[in-house]
Amino acid sequence: MKKTFKFAAAAGLLLSAFSAFADTFVFTAIPDEDESRLQQRFNKVADYLSAQTGAEVKYIPVKSYAAAITAFRNDQVQLAWFGGLSGVQARKLVAGSEAIAQGYEDQFFKTYFIANKSAGLSAEETLSAALKGKTFTFGSKGSTSGRLMPEFYLREQFNAAPEDIFSRVGFSGDHSRTIAQVQSGAYQVGAVNYTVWDNELAAGNIDPEKIQVIWTTPTYPDYQWTIRGDVDARFGKGFKEKMRKALLEMKDKDLLASFPRESFVPASNDDYAPIENTARAIGLLED
Amino acid sequence: MRPDSDALVLLNRLPGVRPAHSSGRRLRRISLLFIAIALVCLFLADLALYPTDPWRELGRIGWGFITPYWADSSTLLSALGQTVAFALLALIISIPLGLMLAVFYHWRPVRMLAAAVRSVHEIFWGLLFMQLYGLSATTGLLAILIPYTGVFAKVFAEMFDRQAPQPTLAVSPLSSRISRYAYTLIPQSLGEMRSYCRYRFECALRSSAILGFIGLPTLGFHLETAFKQGQYSEAAALLWVFFILIASIRFWLRGWLLPVYAALAIWLLPQSPPLGSSYAWQFISQDIWPRALQQGDLAGAAAWYWREFSQVAWPALLQTLYLTQIALVLTGVIALLCYPLASQAISGRALRWPGRLLLLIMRSTPEIMIAFILLLLLGPSGLPAVLALALHNGGLIAFLLANHSEQQPQRADDPKGINRYLYLHTPRLYPGFLAFLFYRWEVILRESAMMGILGIATIGFYIDSAFEEIRYDKAFFLIVVAAALNILIDSLSRRIRRRAGADLSAGVG
Amino acid sequence: MSVNADAAILFQLQQFDLTLGKHRVLHNINLTVRQGEKIAIIGPSGAGKSSLLEVLYRQQPQQIALCPQQGGLVDMLSVYNNIFMGGLERHSSVYNLLNLIRSFNTPRAEIQQLCNELGLEDKLWHSPDRLSGGQRQRVAVGRALYRQQPVFLGDEPVSALDPLQAENILQLLINRHNTLLVSLHNRRLALAHFDRVLALRAGELVYDGPAAALTSNDLDAFYAS
Repeated sequence: MKKTFKFAAAAGLLLSAFSAFADTFVFTAIPDEDESRLQQRFNKVADYLSAQTGAEVKYIPVKSYAAAITAFRNDQVQLAWFGGLSGVQARKLVAGSEAIAQGYEDQFFKTYFIANKSAGLSAEETLSAALKGKTFTFGSKGSTSGRLMPEFYLREQFNAAPEDIFSRVGFSGDHSRTIAQVQSGAYQVGAVNYTVWDNELAAGNIDPEKIQVIWTTPTYPDYQWTIRGDVDARFGKGFKEKMRKALLEMKDKDLLASFPRESFVPASNDDYAPIENTARAIGLLED
Repeated sequence: MRPDSDALVLLNRLPGVRPAHSSGRRLRRISLLFIAIALVCLFLADLALYPTDPWRELGRIGWGFITPYWADSSTLLSALGQTVAFALLALIISIPLGLMLAVFYHWRPVRMLAAAVRSVHEIFWGLLFMQLYGLSATTGLLAILIPYTGVFAKVFAEMFDRQAPQPTLAVSPLSSRISRYAYTLIPQSLGEMRSYCRYRFECALRSSAILGFIGLPTLGFHLETAFKQGQYSEAAALLWVFFILIASIRFWLRGWLLPVYAALAIWLLPQSPPLGSSYAWQFISQDIWPRALQQGDLAGAAAWYWREFSQVAWPALLQTLYLTQIALVLTGVIALLCYPLASQAISGRALRWPGRLLLLIMRSTPEIMIAFILLLLLGPSGLPAVLALALHNGGLIAFLLANHSEQQPQRADDPKGINRYLYLHTPRLYPGFLAFLFYRWEVILRESAMMGILGIATIGFYIDSAFEEIRYDKAFFLIVVAAALNILIDSLSRRIRRRAGADLSAGVG
Repeated sequence: MSVNADAAILFQLQQFDLTLGKHRVLHNINLTVRQGEKIAIIGPSGAGKSSLLEVLYRQQPQQIALCPQQGGLVDMLSVYNNIFMGGLERHSSVYNLLNLIRSFNTPRAEIQQLCNELGLEDKLWHSPDRLSGGQRQRVAVGRALYRQQPVFLGDEPVSALDPLQAENILQLLINRHNTLLVSLHNRRLALAHFDRVLALRAGELVYDGPAAALTSNDLDAFYAS
C-alpha cells in the first residue's frame, strides 16, 4: 500500500480506491478476437483462478500489447495473456518472469496472407513476386501474427523492407479490421491471424467472391501466459505452480471461449526462442 | 520596492488610439496566402486515390448507425460517468492552474512552460503517464489537465490583454501582481472566461472519451473496441450517447451543481491496482534516453539522435505539415459552408435543428472513425486523413460561427437568406473565423498524429509505433520534436492573428 | 494660494513629443509641475489631455492616485471592492484575496466612511453597472481617495455630476491631495478651484499660466476650433 502514496496528483482522492486492490493478484488478457465485454467475460476467469489458487484474483482490461507490457512491468498485473512477441518483450523487461502455459492452438500458429480478388493474385506455394507494388496492411503494430511473422517472411522472401515491397503499408490495428479493409479493397493485401479468419469465415462475415487466402506462413508459437518471477515471494511459496496448474486444468468451454482456445498446454521461455530470433532479425528487438 | 513593470506596459495603449484596424484587404491577403500554400502542399502530400468496393462494409456501418444497440446498461452508464468524471475533475484542477500561469504570463519561462505542455497531444501525455502511474485515474487526469492548463494559460492571458487598461491604472503599481489581477483583469474577464470554460468542457469530454482508446475506462474504450470489430450497432449506441451528452451540456452543467458533480466524479473515478515496483524512476532516468547516452557515449548519442531526426522525424514532420496545411484550408471551407445551416438568423427555424445535429455529429465523432470510413471509400493515403480532420474541425468551427451569427444584431431591413449569408454575416464574422481557424491550426497539427492507421507517415504514426515497439527513447525524442514544431506553429499563429487583427472577444483553443 | 517657486519639482517635460502609429498625440510640450500646485487642464476633446495625464502618471505611478477617464470601474466587483482596490498595496496578497470573499472590518469601516462623504452610503454592496453615471464617477473618485497619495491626476473626474456635487467632490479632492492635475470641461470650476491652467489644442500647449489671469472669455477661445 505504501507505494500508492507516490501518486503526485489526486493521491488523496484515490487512496480509498486503491486499497481495494491490496494483496490482490491481478491479470490481464487481450484475446485475439472479440474484445467486447472483456470485463464480464474475464471476471469469470478471475473467479475460476481465485477458486483454484485460493488467492483473490482480479482482471483488468487493457487496450494494447504495449499497455499490457507496461502494466506487467509496473507490477500492476502479475500475470498476462501475451502474444508471442509481446511475451518476449515483457520477459526481457521483467527479470525472472516466465511463460507457464500456452493455448493448444498456439503451438502451431500461422498467419494468412489475404488478398482482394481485384488485386489479381492467386493462392501460391510461396509469396509471389506479383505482390510487389500492391497496397498492404498489417494488423496491430505489436502483434505477432499480424505484424512480426508476416514481416519476417516478407523480408525473407523479397530481401527488402515492407515499405520497399509495397506501394503502401498500413496498420489496421486489428485482425477483424484487416479483413474488413482488404474485403472493401481499401488495401489489396493483408496479413491476418488464422483463427480470426476461420471464425469470421464460419460466421459468414467473409465474402469468398471478394477475398481469399493467397499464402500461409509456416507455423510458429504464439499466445502464452507469462507470470512475474516474484509471485511466490508475494503470494506464498508454490503459488506459481498453483497458477500454472489452474490454467492447464481449465476445462470449462465457456471460460476457454474467451481466449478463444481449445485448452491450455505447458510452455516455457525456450519455446519462444524462434519468436525472439525473428524479432531480432527484423530489428524489432535489440541486443 | 520597484514598481511592477507591467502596469506601465499597459499604459502604452492609450485610450482613443487603437492598433491598426483589421482591414478587409489584409484578411484577404492572408487567406489567399494560406490557400496558395495548401495548393502547393497538394502536390507534395501523399494523397493517392485507390479504387475500392466499400459498399458492403459501409452498408453495415450505416445500418449500425441507425440501429444503435447496447446490451447492458451498467457498463454504458459507468463508461459515461467516467467520461464526465475525468473531464470535470481535470477542468476543476486545470482552470485555476491555468489562471495562475496566465497571471505570470509576462514571464518568459511561464510562457514556454505553457507552450510546451499544450504542444503534446492528450493521447501521448496519456501514454507517457501510463508508464509512470500505470492504468489509473491519475494517468487519465494528468493526461487531460496538463495540456489543458497550458491552453487555459494562453487563452486567459490573451483575454487579459484585451481588457480595458483603466482599472489597472487606478491601482497602485506597488501592489502585488496577484492582488492586482484579482481585483482588475480577472473580474474584468470573468464573463469571457466562463463561456470559454464551458466550451472547453465540451473539448474535455471529447479528450476524456478519446483517452479510452489507450485504455481508460471511458466511452472511447468500448467505442474503439466495438468499431474495430465491426460491431457497428454497439459503436453507434456509444456514439449516440456521447452526442446526447454533448448536446445536453447546457441543461445539466450549472454552476451551483458543480460541487455535487465534483464529489460524484471523485467517487466515480476508477479503481486500479497499485504499482508495485519503482519503475517510474527507471523510466525517467533510463528508458527515455538512448542507450549510447546512458553509457556516456555522447558521440554515439548524437549520431543516434541525428539518425532518428534525419531518417524518421524530418520526413514525417514535412508530411505532417503538408497534410495540416491542406486540412486547415479545407476546414475553413467546410466551416464557412456549414455554419449557415445551424444559424437561425440565416436558415430560419426549420433548418436550424437538422443543421445543429449535423454539426454535433461532425464535431463529436472522433476523427479516427471518420478517417476509417473514408479509408474504406477512398483507399489508404493522406486523403481520408485530410478529409477527416477537415470535417471534424470544420464542424467545430461552424458550430462556433453559427453561435456568433445568431448573436449578430438584426435589423428589419437586413437582407434575407443567401444574401444575408454572403453580404452581412460572413463578412462580419470573417475576422473571428480566421481567429478560430488559426487557433485550430496547432490542434489540427496534433490531431494528424492520430492518422497512423491510414498508412501515412505522420510524426504521430512514428510516435505511436515507438510506444508499441517499447522504444521509449525514440518515442520521447519524437514527442519532443513534434512538440517543437507545434510550438513554432503556435507562435506563428499568434503572430499572424495579431497582424491580421483577427481576434475575437471569445478565444478558442 | 500661490506656490513656493522653490518647491520640489514633481513632473518635468521638455520639448516632449508623443507619436502613436501615425498619430501625433502630443507635440513640443514644455512643462514643470512643482509640489503643491493645483492645475486644471482644459481643451477640446482629442486635444491630448488624457495622453498628457497618462504621460505624467508614467513618470511616478507609485505616488499618484489616478482617476482615469470613464472611471475604469470593474463591474464584476461591488462598490466596496472597487474602492478597496485603491489600497491593495497596503495589504498582503492573501489579505486582499480573502477580502474578495468576505470583507474585513477595518477597511469596511474606512470605505463606509468614504462612501458617506461621497453620498454613496447605501451603495456599498451594489455593483457599479447598476449605478447612474454620476454615482459611478463618485465610486472612481472614492477609489482614488482610498489610494491615499499626495498627488491626484484626474481625467474628467466630475463631468457627470450636477454643479453642486461637482463643486463638493472637487473640494474634497483638493483637501485630500497636495498636488492635483485635473482635466475639466467645466471652465467655471477650473477658474474657481485651481491656481494654474494648462490649455491644450491639437496636442500643443497653447496656454500655461495662472488661473487668475484668465477670464471666461479667454477660456472659450481655447475651445474655439
